[in-house]
Amino acid sequence: MAYGGYDATRRLGDYISSVADAISAQNGAQLSALLSVSRGSYCNVVASGLDQNKDVNRLARQLERAAPLAEMLGQHMRCMQCYANRRYSDSYAALEKSANAFLQEFRNWESAWAMEALHSVAYELRTIAEMADREMAASGKIPDKLKGAGSFLMKVFGALAGKGPKRVGALFVTCQLFKIYFKLGTVHLCRSVIRSIETARVFDFEEFPVRDRVTYMYYTGRLEVFNDQFKQADEKLMYSLVHCDPLKRNNIRMVLKYLIPVKLSLGIMPSKSLLEEYNLLEYKEVIQSLLTGDIRLLRQALQTNEDQFLRSGVYLVLEKLELQCYRRLLRKIYNIQKQKDPGRAHQVKLDSVMKALKWLNIEMDADEVECVMAILIYRNYVKGYFSHKSKVVVLSKQDPFPSLTTRVNPT
Amino acid sequence: MAATASTGAANMAKDTLPAEDPKLDVFEDDDEFEEFENEVWDDADEGKGALQQWEDDWDDDDVTDDFSVQLKKEIEAEK
Repeated sequence: MAYGGYDATRRLGDYISSVADAISAQNGAQLSALLSVSRGSYCNVVASGLDQNKDVNRLARQLERAAPLAEMLGQHMRCMQCYANRRYSDSYAALEKSANAFLQEFRNWESAWAMEALHSVAYELRTIAEMADREMAASGKIPDKLKGAGSFLMKVFGALAGKGPKRVGALFVTCQLFKIYFKLGTVHLCRSVIRSIETARVFDFEEFPVRDRVTYMYYTGRLEVFNDQFKQADEKLMYSLVHCDPLKRNNIRMVLKYLIPVKLSLGIMPSKSLLEEYNLLEYKEVIQSLLTGDIRLLRQALQTNEDQFLRSGVYLVLEKLELQCYRRLLRKIYNIQKQKDPGRAHQVKLDSVMKALKWLNIEMDADEVECVMAILIYRNYVKGYFSHKSKVVVLSKQDPFPSLTTRVNPT
Repeated sequence: MAATASTGAANMAKDTLPAEDPKLDVFEDDDEFEEFENEVWDDADEGKGALQQWEDDWDDDDVTDDFSVQLKKEIEAEK
């Protein structure tokens, strides 16, 4: 036991020396690895070293060597000790002090050598704050650490977002902030960060690392979906999809989860193989309903997957596809009539539409169906007019069903 | 009446239940993007593949599918 204690103390000394060496050599990757808590290999070394350390003065002398990060390192090691002992709120509190001391030094350095280490600390802040919040909720306290991590990371963002060599690291912190805001349901806070990233003339977006660009476009794409801005959502999510690491299949799947409803709204179908490859079968019936005009199937599909669609926030997007489905049904009726009597096919009786809906068990009276037809025309899904007197949809002889991909939405 | 009675029973059941711990939400986002372990990668092939998986010419005049065949019967049927 005595030997074990000696060994642990010695390895703690080695750890501190390694940190001091990384700082004096300005080795950012090495420092980053040494400061990792949740995904690193040093946490247990530090924790057992501190648990068994008897000589506080000696430890203080060792820490001096890590100047100017001695104060930071003291807090950081405490964070690691608490983490290894599963005391996550305490771990977070120490980490925030460590991060604060680190950020102060980082601001003074002209070069960005320690960026990787700062990113590592930013990641740990978010991750340990989440664990601390779970711990607090379980013991009946109101979780507030993740919110605190958000405020702190805004400070970090501020230290990076200006001109100069540190700006390249700002997008990583932005993405950590997005993850926090989406989790807390405070996505409106994304706005100021986005403005700062997108209005900068001095820095081209393409200069950020691809890893951060892909993540950024995923989250801003999701925001566009929430705001019904489908064209912008399409651009952003496609960017994320095209540039994503092909090995990160879960991430690709998440992009597609939002991109598919967006594409459908714009009149574009995903291939069957895409749905199967990424196991997105919840969209299969939605797609089938759009291909046929089967409104009953669309409603069923929405009902079956209601929870899932509501949680991801695409339910309202999919619900709006109903108009597209009515359009398809009308087009089917038109083409069926055309086979029989091409000369009069452009006149579709309200009665025919009602028969079709009755067959699909959709309960609607004549006024309601007339209203849907009027909306289809107003929204440019269909070209023509509705004759209220004779209860007939009179379709334009030229291009009665304008392409969905070029349709101009009046709203 | 029946509805009122059953609601009353439900309320009573709720009252007699032991006070559950306050539901403090731990926040969730089911679709949180995973961190990328790699700093760089080759996105040339996958990128091209992703672009080819979408069709915008599906909106055709075809009425030979099962749904259309059945639809035809329904709208052409006399009352």
